[in-house]
Amino acid sequence: MSEMAGKLFSWLNNRLPIVNTFERHLSKHPVPSKVNFWYLFGALAAVTLIIQIVTGIWLIMPYSNTEEQAFSSIEYIMRDVDYGWVIRYMHTTGASLFFAVVYLHMFRGLLYGSYQKPKELVWIFGCTIYLAMMAEGFLGYVLPYGQMSYWGAQVIISLFGAIPYVGESLELWVRGDYYISGITVSRFFALHVVALPLILIALVFLHLVALHEVGAGNPEGVDIEAHLDEDGVPLDSVPFFPYKVLNGLVAIGVFMTVFAIIMFFFPEGGGYFIEMANFQEANPLVTPDHIAPVWYYAPFYTMLRAIPDPLGGLIVMAAAVAIFFIVPWLDRSKVASIRYKGIYSKIAITLFGVSFLTLGYLGTVGVTEIRKIMSIICTIIYFAYFLLMPIYTKYEKTKEVPTRL
Amino acid sequence: MILYRNILKNIPKISLLLLFIFTSHEIVSAEGGPCKDYGDCDEFKYSLNDIDSLQRGASTYINYCYGCHSLQYSRWGRVAQDLEIPEDIFFENLVFDKSIKSGDLMMGAMPEESGTWFGVEPPDLTLVARYKGDDWIYSYLRAYYEDSSKQYGVNNLVYPGTAMPNVLLSLQGNQRLVCKDIPLIAKNGGEKRDNDGNTIMIEKCGFLQVQDGTGSLSKEEFDELIYDLTNFLVYVGEPIKATRERIGWYVVFYFLIFTALSSLLYREFKKDYKK
Repeated sequence: MSEMAGKLFSWLNNRLPIVNTFERHLSKHPVPSKVNFWYLFGALAAVTLIIQIVTGIWLIMPYSNTEEQAFSSIEYIMRDVDYGWVIRYMHTTGASLFFAVVYLHMFRGLLYGSYQKPKELVWIFGCTIYLAMMAEGFLGYVLPYGQMSYWGAQVIISLFGAIPYVGESLELWVRGDYYISGITVSRFFALHVVALPLILIALVFLHLVALHEVGAGNPEGVDIEAHLDEDGVPLDSVPFFPYKVLNGLVAIGVFMTVFAIIMFFFPEGGGYFIEMANFQEANPLVTPDHIAPVWYYAPFYTMLRAIPDPLGGLIVMAAAVAIFFIVPWLDRSKVASIRYKGIYSKIAITLFGVSFLTLGYLGTVGVTEIRKIMSIICTIIYFAYFLLMPIYTKYEKTKEVPTRL
Repeated sequence: MILYRNILKNIPKISLLLLFIFTSHEIVSAEGGPCKDYGDCDEFKYSLNDIDSLQRGASTYINYCYGCHSLQYSRWGRVAQDLEIPEDIFFENLVFDKSIKSGDLMMGAMPEESGTWFGVEPPDLTLVARYKGDDWIYSYLRAYYEDSSKQYGVNNLVYPGTAMPNVLLSLQGNQRLVCKDIPLIAKNGGEKRDNDGNTIMIEKCGFLQVQDGTGSLSKEEFDELIYDLTNFLVYVGEPIKATRERIGWYVVFYFLIFTALSSLLYREFKKDYKK
């Protein structure tokens, strides 16, 4: 029996690089031996992506992408489909937590310079994933066709209208109709379940391939490739499998505990994960009192609102996301990690973090005079963090980086 | 272990962040309250395991509300089953249209043209507890008062200008807005007193008070009735809620065990390279 299994395996392995791939990317893939919890969010993002894909497949089965039935098919899933509520809450909670872990993952990148040479491409693929996620999240939010789906889509699609010359026709092209209708829902459905997931999976694949080519970083910013043993394996490394996989498993355990607490006890997330107004079917005649985006878009929505001119707002909002792409070339520091960077970098990243959170908060509440001023100040700090980076990273005094982890 | 030490080290930062999130949430909920002229909504604590309360709520709903307000995503048989009412008794007492079957949706009892009766079509209430909130419903149904300037002679503090007449008037009695003398509150939160040590009283208006003997229920009984009704609407907004909260404990427990075992395993493997 085992002889036959062995034969079958070698038959397969001669035709498919099973052992090679396993060794190259898992059992012999060296990763830094000392990292901290910030390095676990990438794995958690992968877990959430899988959750979203699997629950998404099951949601497609009973969901109806027509204007008449979109909303009621969600209630059908919540009531009549066996364990439909589990699948749906996993998907809604998963969406929010996907963004949460990705934001933490991105912040890790900024903290420890995970974009520095030679990891520029890893970073760019990552930024593209984030961009695709934003689109994916928005399209998905329209599908239940509640009040917030409708009016949120109204606000976002009308942004296209602010683009000069082509704006209006572009808006029409995106909507597929003169107003948001069943046609919009069904095309968003196609994009949400086929187009963007394909793009996301391809990008995640590229992100990982590029990462494995250049090797993972560490919070010290030490180049582990500089000290190798006689077999050419970095001295300060451990094989990815089983060590980091097990470390990841612990993180998954903690993460899933949080996931379960939210999903079973606070699935609406206090109105931040599923907005209350979205339990009302879309009604083109009634505008909700207060149109607010879901929390993960809130910082950018605040920037959009802070600028009085629609086109200006759109440009600022787009720039706020686009600026991430050029971070590898903005950072002129000799060191990667915040631990060895100077005081200016430390102040800058703290201010950036605070302004991003404040922008997020402001996006979920109504506008007042003082909040408007706060949004403008925070937007300026946000951009200053990036635009002044070439200056403060170049001229500050950095600490000596150790040679070993 | 690094993970735990790092989490421990970061507890001040994490708690600061959580504090920020929670306080910002407080600010969100404090602004321009959803209960309008009523002030803060009365807090409602649902009890979905209190089947008796849900049964009474369902009965009130079907007798007083269902005539106008459908529950179009909910099915008759499901309600009977979840509320532990034997189907024959349920259909005998609560379903007036004998052509209805157990699997039918609760589509309401209003004819098509009824939309024009009140100026607006009475909304479907299956999800009202989810988009308005249980606090709001509980406050709204108890905030009607006499107002002769309105079409049905009543108005509502929670929803000024509401199109719905006070259907429960005969139970509650005639509620009016009255003025009362209340102690003047000083800036420090205590009652303000004059030089002789007597509490200074001021007249304040806008209090709800039921005229004695006009309703068939006492205030407590009426509050109880609205409690049960709201509880039922919470149930019907998400029939799985009680089950969800029950199953949740098992799932959380499972993942805690999973975390404990995997961290023991990781610790064991880590001995390989950690001296």
